[in-house]
Amino acid sequence: MSDTEQTEFFVQQLAECQGRLFGYIYSMLGEHSRAMDVVQETNLVLWRKKEDFREGAPFVPWALGIARFQVLAHVRDQGRDRCLLDSELVAALSLQTEQQVDQLESMRIALRQCMSDLPREKIEMIHLRYYRSMPIAEIAKAMGRRTDAVKVALLRLRRVLADCMQRRMLEG
Amino acid sequence: MALSEIEEFERLLFDWEDGTLDTTGIGRLRDLLRQNPEVRQRYVERQVFGAVLRLDADAGISAATTGLSETAAVCSPERLHETLTLTGTIDDKSDGITTLHDSGNVVEGWNRRHTGILLGAAASILLCVALGRWLVVESRLKSAVQNRVLAGTGQLEKQEATSVGIALVTRLVDVTWQESEKQFMVGDPLPAGVVGLESGVAQIEFFCGATVILEGPARLMLESSTVARLQSGRLRAQVPPAARGFQVHVDQLKVVDLGTEFGIEVNEGQADVHVFDGEVELHQPNGEQRLVVAGNAVTHAASGVLETSKLTPDKFLGLEGLDDRVRNQKQSRYERWLEHSMELRKDPRVITYYSMEQDRYWKRKLASSVIPGNRDLDGAIVGAKRVVGRWPQKSGIEFKRPGDRVRVNIPGQFGSLTFACWVKIDSLDRWYNSLFLTDSYQRGEPHWQILDTGQLFFSVRLGEGRGKGHHKVLSPPFWNASMSGRWLHLATTYDVETKTTTHFLNGEKLHEERIPDELFVEQTRFGKATIGNWSSPTRPEADFAIRNLNGSMDEFVLFHGALTNHEIRNLFVQGSP
Repeated sequence: MSDTEQTEFFVQQLAECQGRLFGYIYSMLGEHSRAMDVVQETNLVLWRKKEDFREGAPFVPWALGIARFQVLAHVRDQGRDRCLLDSELVAALSLQTEQQVDQLESMRIALRQCMSDLPREKIEMIHLRYYRSMPIAEIAKAMGRRTDAVKVALLRLRRVLADCMQRRMLEG
Repeated sequence: MALSEIEEFERLLFDWEDGTLDTTGIGRLRDLLRQNPEVRQRYVERQVFGAVLRLDADAGISAATTGLSETAAVCSPERLHETLTLTGTIDDKSDGITTLHDSGNVVEGWNRRHTGILLGAAASILLCVALGRWLVVESRLKSAVQNRVLAGTGQLEKQEATSVGIALVTRLVDVTWQESEKQFMVGDPLPAGVVGLESGVAQIEFFCGATVILEGPARLMLESSTVARLQSGRLRAQVPPAARGFQVHVDQLKVVDLGTEFGIEVNEGQADVHVFDGEVELHQPNGEQRLVVAGNAVTHAASGVLETSKLTPDKFLGLEGLDDRVRNQKQSRYERWLEHSMELRKDPRVITYYSMEQDRYWKRKLASSVIPGNRDLDGAIVGAKRVVGRWPQKSGIEFKRPGDRVRVNIPGQFGSLTFACWVKIDSLDRWYNSLFLTDSYQRGEPHWQILDTGQLFFSVRLGEGRGKGHHKVLSPPFWNASMSGRWLHLATTYDVETKTTTHFLNGEKLHEERIPDELFVEQTRFGKATIGNWSSPTRPEADFAIRNLNGSMDEFVLFHGALTNHEIRNLFVQGSP
């Protein structure tokens, strides 16, 4: 492969694993904007280290390995006040999470179907919570409902969707 | 009490996400994670699910059904890429430099951060170009989803079609292509560039409305939707009034049509122009113009001298003549297929084969074509209509309504498998569009279908349980609306020796994937199954079981054993309409 081809191949791999990188990092940090920051940092490191990547070696494990270091660095810098997981828990949960994000694409397909079956009001609730990261209290205000009612509804909704997704993933 | 700890964990995690969990709660949450492996498992599931939700909740469905603003919905990198691509904020400039101009988004943020470091490096350009390419694939995927929901469909595709093509290939008879040039199929849009025929005849319709019949050996350079340059060979052009002004250039000579039918032959620097109807204007290299009216012919010698010559309309194949040749070709292709099909019926590897050839239109039975005959393999047509297949001589089956299907029952146990069929897809309306689905989907049973994203999908059921159900092998999207109504050959092999699934489109490999050992099933079987839909009487959600294909099928064959790439290619070649 020429240098250009190699770079092109690398970029393609990098682009293809963005979803999984986000999945892993988000799972470790649990907060959207900080996860996005770490995804950017990880992309940057991957780009700098692209000479280290051996042609023919699997890309995703390599990228996730680097993402793990970036998460650990982030947890160390931010400290216990801002992160739920400490470095010990990151280490304990990483392997399982990496395996789980392997199925991210199938999960997306399955979830898409589950979402389309939801009534409008519920979609809206998901929208406010997960797109706009709106706090529960504000969602309650926006929808004219009580905070604990919204909380119960969202908890249930999340469970229903997660179960539906799992079920659909088992179906062919 | 594992269950209640899980419950407690769910609530704590939820509050933590919401930012309303106090220090004691956070401590408890961490303890639970440290102590209880089930909690850890649930954490991973919940968090990855949360990530998927954020990545994909905005896949078009929610925004479209709720009418909520799309811009607020954007948070996944793919989504941003897609938005940028769709709205045209990513430009692929003709000089090869890709620029991004939009604000407040990840793509640009990412790009900006990088360009700071890679300033001036060609790599950053390449990076954007490659990302852009990926985005198009991603956005096609997503737009397929959106098309399902949104009324205004196919905008992206329409834009692409006009930007890449200036003409269409509408008929091809006995064509062999010049080795150095691209090959096309009927229905393909032609971009600017050379069409090179070694032999045979191609009918090309320019977007301006002119129709050209090109007889090989010939080379025609398409320059725009109104200009073509004949480098060698013979063509006949039919130009309706709407396309007046269509030009064919030969070297320095321009033949400008004034609403007519004419022929040109180029041979060793000499050009013969024959006008059969109407008139054409010849623009000579020296600036002189000459009008040639119907019934006349002129020869432009290599020396530049223009002379009157004899009109020979028979020399140029016209639309009517082409009609005959097309009919002959259809007949001979049909006969070629029939001969091949007769051999296929006796192939010992064939499990079941529906050639759809010998059936009468009124019959509701789909006869198995396998020799020696086995009536137990006959299928039952439910709802689906018999229609004309690839050739007028034979039938196909059309699946339109949600109930349309063909029921089959295939006994026995097998190892490697090959599925192949000819299919004409009108649109992909369902999440899953069935080709062949076993009823209950038990261990060892395969499912072969197409996703609404245009991806071919194959899986063999392993068992029950999370992450243990099956391994899906998805091809890249191969179908889009511009292929609607075209006969396509689809094939998939499941090779138990190499634990590999391979998808094929029109005889070419689309995708190959190895199945992880823990999800691999060696023994396969079918039992009761459905072609073109799914029958799952035990399933409570009846709506989900609607997986009818919207389109037609002509020939379906199932082998035990994985056919080689060459054999798949041969199925395509022998069966091409």
